[in-house]
Amino acid sequence: MTSPIKLAHGFEDADAFYESLLDAHHGLDPAQSALLNARLILLLANQLGDTARLQACLDAAKLPATDRAPAPS
Amino acid sequence: MQTTPTRYAAAAFTNGYEFTAGSGYQLPEYPFVAPPEIATGERKRHPIVIVGGGITGLSLACALAQYGVRALLLDEDNTVGVKGASSRGICYAQKTLEIFKRLGIYQRIARKGVQWSVGRTFAGSDEVYAFDLRQQATHCLSQQPPFINLQQFYIEGFLVEKLLEGEAKDRQIDVRWRHRVTAFAQNADVATLSLTTPAGAYTLEAEHVVDCTGSRSPFRAWCQASVTAKKGDDRWCIADVRFKNPPPVERHTWIEAPFNEGRAVWQHLMADGVWRIDYQMPPDADPEAVSREDVVRARLHAQFSQLGQTLTPDDYEIVWVGPYAYRSECVDNLRHGRVFFAGDAAHVVSPFGARGGNSGVQDADNLAWKLAAVTQGRAAASLLDSYHAERHEAAEHNVLVTNRTARFLRPADGAERLFRTAAIGLAKRHAFARQLVNTGRMSTPNRYTRSAACVATSVGSGEATQNAAFAWANDSPGELTELLAWAQGRLLLLVFGPIKPAALAQLRALSTLSDLRCVQVLAADQPASAVEHIRDPHGHVRATCQLAPSPNRAAWALLRPDSYLAASGEKIDAGLVRAVATALGAPA
Repeated sequence: MTSPIKLAHGFEDADAFYESLLDAHHGLDPAQSALLNARLILLLANQLGDTARLQACLDAAKLPATDRAPAPS
Repeated sequence: MQTTPTRYAAAAFTNGYEFTAGSGYQLPEYPFVAPPEIATGERKRHPIVIVGGGITGLSLACALAQYGVRALLLDEDNTVGVKGASSRGICYAQKTLEIFKRLGIYQRIARKGVQWSVGRTFAGSDEVYAFDLRQQATHCLSQQPPFINLQQFYIEGFLVEKLLEGEAKDRQIDVRWRHRVTAFAQNADVATLSLTTPAGAYTLEAEHVVDCTGSRSPFRAWCQASVTAKKGDDRWCIADVRFKNPPPVERHTWIEAPFNEGRAVWQHLMADGVWRIDYQMPPDADPEAVSREDVVRARLHAQFSQLGQTLTPDDYEIVWVGPYAYRSECVDNLRHGRVFFAGDAAHVVSPFGARGGNSGVQDADNLAWKLAAVTQGRAAASLLDSYHAERHEAAEHNVLVTNRTARFLRPADGAERLFRTAAIGLAKRHAFARQLVNTGRMSTPNRYTRSAACVATSVGSGEATQNAAFAWANDSPGELTELLAWAQGRLLLLVFGPIKPAALAQLRALSTLSDLRCVQVLAADQPASAVEHIRDPHGHVRATCQLAPSPNRAAWALLRPDSYLAASGEKIDAGLVRAVATALGAPA
């Protein structure tokens, strides 16, 4: 079964987006950062809208346990 | 759960339930009559026994009476309402109001109750969003408004008076007050109920028992019915308050009310100028402390001072105070042998979106026509199994929807609260995020997708129609509920547009063979070919049957007595004959 979401290249300019994302968090404390991320997720989710694609994004975000980075100690 | 007793005063049987300043509501009392079985020792067998005279049991009794079905209604009390035990329902949805129209009590409800359609949601002191239900397609075809608010005991009182109309000997329903069921057993032949009354105990037999005894139903244990339940730590406290200068006729909800320590508050108007104000309390709050009169008054004063008004104790009167906890419960099988579970006995949800009392009335309306058709020998006994398939799906849906609201209103610490804060923040600026703000999703009729009595392959099957308006053959105004009443508990086949002579002959044959009433639905200028016809000049009947708005296109819709669509189609053929059999419970 093919995934309903893009998992290969999708960004027009990946480096520029990544930089903007980091800049948006610059100077924020962890709580403010978390809230910014939450708002961003809701905004982006609304761009997709489609239930199957949103669910596929949620599933893809939950990486298999073997892939996950160890928690910072 | 602790409750503060209301100042209910005893009163003789009366037609009114007047609000008397200073003494609260005076509820009617109905006389206990010693049943003849106590003296004779006779053990009578009844086709249908309804246990519980709340909104569900009374609606069922009224519906059965309309279908000409005899039943016994047992109630352990001698009045409507529950003295001091619960605040109960206030908000009646369009589908329920349409049922009340058929039961003949709608006019009284409309006169006494408060119609509303505007809801406003606030976070802090900002309005997050507002809705007007009149503008929504789900509500616009009906002759009934989206919602009417009215204290539940008024509706129960109207239903009782409907049941007690006319001479006792002519009534279909035998209402027996102050009857408590103390034991129950059933086997393949019959159910047996043991009863206690002020005049002594006796036993009776029943072929069908409908449990409408509410959330503390003893039948759950007697039937060993399994229940899926969920209970949270969220606590609320209701204050029903009568103001001298009442607030606007709108549903107001605050997700984070500044006057309630940032927790939620609900505000809803009822009859007699009484407002229900519902405050979210800290998790696991002590119910006794939060419902103390001085605490309730302090909350009210804080609320009005926040809105820039000074409230003095003379400006209002506290009618009722009651703390409660949100929970959900659903009996896993709504039929156990001869017992059918309905209303709160079958399912309990948190009070969001008018899904409690309303689903009880809709349970009753679903079961009534099926019991009538089966006990009158017009349908297969298997039709009764569709009650569970349809109403359990409805109950599960209501549990799902209300639990989502409860989770929005009481988010767990951490990510759940974070996302709520994010959603509210965005909703103040952007329309899209308002969809995420969940202060209750107002109930619309449930759709039945799992029922063997609905033809799954046809358009609109298992969906409710609205009470659309049309014109009778003599041009006088009519509405769908009247057409359903005319069908007297039979299926109603609506055939749209011109009918060819051959099809007309087939329809005649079908009406003779099956338990069916057939009506032709015509546009303004189409010639009538059937004696029974109506005019649908604005296409509202077509629209509510989910048919294309082209008057010359042949189509039919098969409506059940509960106004749900069992099937629809185009040709008068064997498919229609099969659909009629399916709708009456014939095995596939």
